[in-house]
Amino acid sequence: MIKRDLFEMKNKFFWKLIFSTFCLGLSTNLLGQSSSAPSLGVASNGGPVYEDILRGFDDPSRWLTFSGDYSGKRHSPLEQITPENVDQLRPVWTFQTGTTTRGRGFETSPLMDDGILYVTGSNNFAWAIDARTGRSFWQYRRDLPNDLTYGASAPVNRGFGMLGNQLFMVTLDAHLVSFDRRTGNVLWEIPLADYKIGYSATLAPLVLDDKVIVGISGGEYATRGFIDAYDPATGEQIWRFNTIPGLGEPGSETWPPDPEVLSRGGGGTWMNGSYDPDLNIIYWGVGNPNPDYFGDTRLGDNLYSNSLVALDADTGELKWHYQFTPHDINDWDSNHMPVLADIEWNSQERKVVMVGNRNGFFYVLDRVSGELLLGKPFTATTWAREIGDDGRPIVLNDGSKGCLPDPWGSTNFMPPSFYPALDLFILTARETCATFVPEEPRYVTGQSSFGGVVFIDGEQSSGALRALDVHTGELRWEFTYPSPTFGGVMTTAAGLVFAGDHEGNFMAFDVESGENLWHYQTGSRIWGAAATTYLLDGKQHVLIPSGTTLTAFALPD
Amino acid sequence: MAVVAFVFLSNLAQAQGVNPLETDPRAAQAGGAIFRAQCATCHGADAKGIDSIDAPDLTLIWTREATTDASVFETIKEGVVGSIMPPHQNPDPEIWMTVSYLRSIAVSGTNETVLGNVDQGRNMFLENCSRCHRVDGAGGSLGPDLSSITGRRSVASLVNSLREPSSNIGRRFKPVSLTTAANERVLGTLKSEDAFSVQLMDSEQVLRAFNKAELIRFTRELDSLMPVFSEAALTEADVNDILSYLQSRRGRRPSI
Repeated sequence: MIKRDLFEMKNKFFWKLIFSTFCLGLSTNLLGQSSSAPSLGVASNGGPVYEDILRGFDDPSRWLTFSGDYSGKRHSPLEQITPENVDQLRPVWTFQTGTTTRGRGFETSPLMDDGILYVTGSNNFAWAIDARTGRSFWQYRRDLPNDLTYGASAPVNRGFGMLGNQLFMVTLDAHLVSFDRRTGNVLWEIPLADYKIGYSATLAPLVLDDKVIVGISGGEYATRGFIDAYDPATGEQIWRFNTIPGLGEPGSETWPPDPEVLSRGGGGTWMNGSYDPDLNIIYWGVGNPNPDYFGDTRLGDNLYSNSLVALDADTGELKWHYQFTPHDINDWDSNHMPVLADIEWNSQERKVVMVGNRNGFFYVLDRVSGELLLGKPFTATTWAREIGDDGRPIVLNDGSKGCLPDPWGSTNFMPPSFYPALDLFILTARETCATFVPEEPRYVTGQSSFGGVVFIDGEQSSGALRALDVHTGELRWEFTYPSPTFGGVMTTAAGLVFAGDHEGNFMAFDVESGENLWHYQTGSRIWGAAATTYLLDGKQHVLIPSGTTLTAFALPD
Repeated sequence: MAVVAFVFLSNLAQAQGVNPLETDPRAAQAGGAIFRAQCATCHGADAKGIDSIDAPDLTLIWTREATTDASVFETIKEGVVGSIMPPHQNPDPEIWMTVSYLRSIAVSGTNETVLGNVDQGRNMFLENCSRCHRVDGAGGSLGPDLSSITGRRSVASLVNSLREPSSNIGRRFKPVSLTTAANERVLGTLKSEDAFSVQLMDSEQVLRAFNKAELIRFTRELDSLMPVFSEAALTEADVNDILSYLQSRRGRRPSI
């Protein structure tokens, strides 16, 4: 334990001292220079309000929510960096976090407002960073307990939520914390669940008008997932949606009638959701049932595991759901960014939600009704090749024969992107093989209950960036990687696709042809993260987290 | 549950450095259940590790001199700071059971002493193997360092590697061939690769890197760069001599 404390500089007063000294020095220095210089990132306003987040990319100097706007498209209208000039892109600065998650990634999406980046990191570090210099204003590190459960094996975080002068972050010990964005001081914090049982939290909170929406991690343990709404001012809970129903509640008929089985049914909600302000509906993915691989003690479809749920944002009431993988025994959590778009479907304007699923299928659903419009495989998945007329997959292989997607899936939570002008859904695909051997678990509080083991065939695996026609699910183009990849995707209206791979390359592609136009070796795998982009002093910048670094790119002057 | 039977041993477990369950044959079995439940997701069902998440092959940990029951116990209990290997809250006896299990699945190597002539083996090695393989800090680098290979591989698998070298090629020694734009043909072992470049050691044992875009051809070969040593080339007695020599060098630190 002593080693751990020394390594991570547990004493936060020490850090506070270091950083307040640093900030004091910086501001003195600036004041001494010139008052006519740009503010160099000193927050002068009261911070973004809900209407600002709602406007999304209308103000491209900002990036105020996980995907840049509520739709989850991760598609910026910026056009300064083009297919013609992208090969000139070069690093402007690199920020070193000094905290690592070897085996996982630096998965955050930084928020950007008024020249300041708000960034969360591994092990619940966080920073406010000057976007011009890459220097930090403050650093926060949560004083984490030594008996973390799921949080210890995935000590990652995907970003802040933001409203006014408040930032919101969830933690590995399953809390929601509100910060003053000017100082990094904690305003309030509340427990979401008991981390000692197996809960943790890693996603970027979704901030609506008067609510902070969060989900929970821990489906590998005997837990019960939920989606919560909290009052941004006080941290008071407004509503909770349990992803596993209670005995007698709708959906419980898809489980054995056993309150104990239901209470540990899993269904984590650890990846961000999206929001349709017109319908006032939030869309959120739900993870695997527990135990992950052993299904015999939870016969039935196991709702709402491996589903997309559409919830009334005011009440948390379920409007509809669609289950991608009924009775999952392969750990194919459906925790993906749901992508909302209004597209022409059979010559009719339709509001759709699209999901590239861990089970290897690409889905398009009507987001008003939940009607399935399309379900097509985008990898060589062998568990199923088609969806039946009843909307259920026609299962060919339960996992005992090998060569399905492995438990990490055909894709995962790394954000995809939608390119509206071409109706292309662009995602990272993983071609993998595994054989599942279920085994009844014993339940011990605070210990995982996977319910078996998996033999992964590492020799037969590869990765690819794939562009799918959303109307047919057909592959328009692909760019192959040597190994299965966890990097996310962003597109810009100039016709560019930005993506990262497992070998550490940050890359730009032509959206029409898939041709690689530029790459930069960041030095560490890009895992879970996707790029963000914004205008700073009128110039387009692109950011990518990788390993222990955050690097900003721009064209030369 | 077997776990209960071991609880009384928790005091003994505090005796540093000694696995209190070392002589209990049930420990490894119970540890296997714990391994499958808590370790296999990252280290693989076969404990051979998963490269993509940096999870090491646990069947090889005992071939390092520094590895002891106590050090493995501590790693499991404390985790590895800065990685996804978490600390474990399990009671000490359960951790010792897991240590026992890891002992039981360790790659055992050549425990029996090979009966051969060490001096002749050295000569054979220098003549046939040392261009590509190192022992005691001397020799080539195209193939793996063999200084401690007899601690990791059985006699049968080592003989198989001599007779059919292409049947099982190590991860960092996969053969590739390529042709450059200048029409140079290069044969080597692949060290690293990304979407845009390859890093290899060529057959002259020079480390070289190439941009894929500048190559006319890049091929993953099936045949190892190591020649096949048939009975005609090396008799069974010759092989035993070489293995005896390798076994005699085992555990020695390479001279620098």
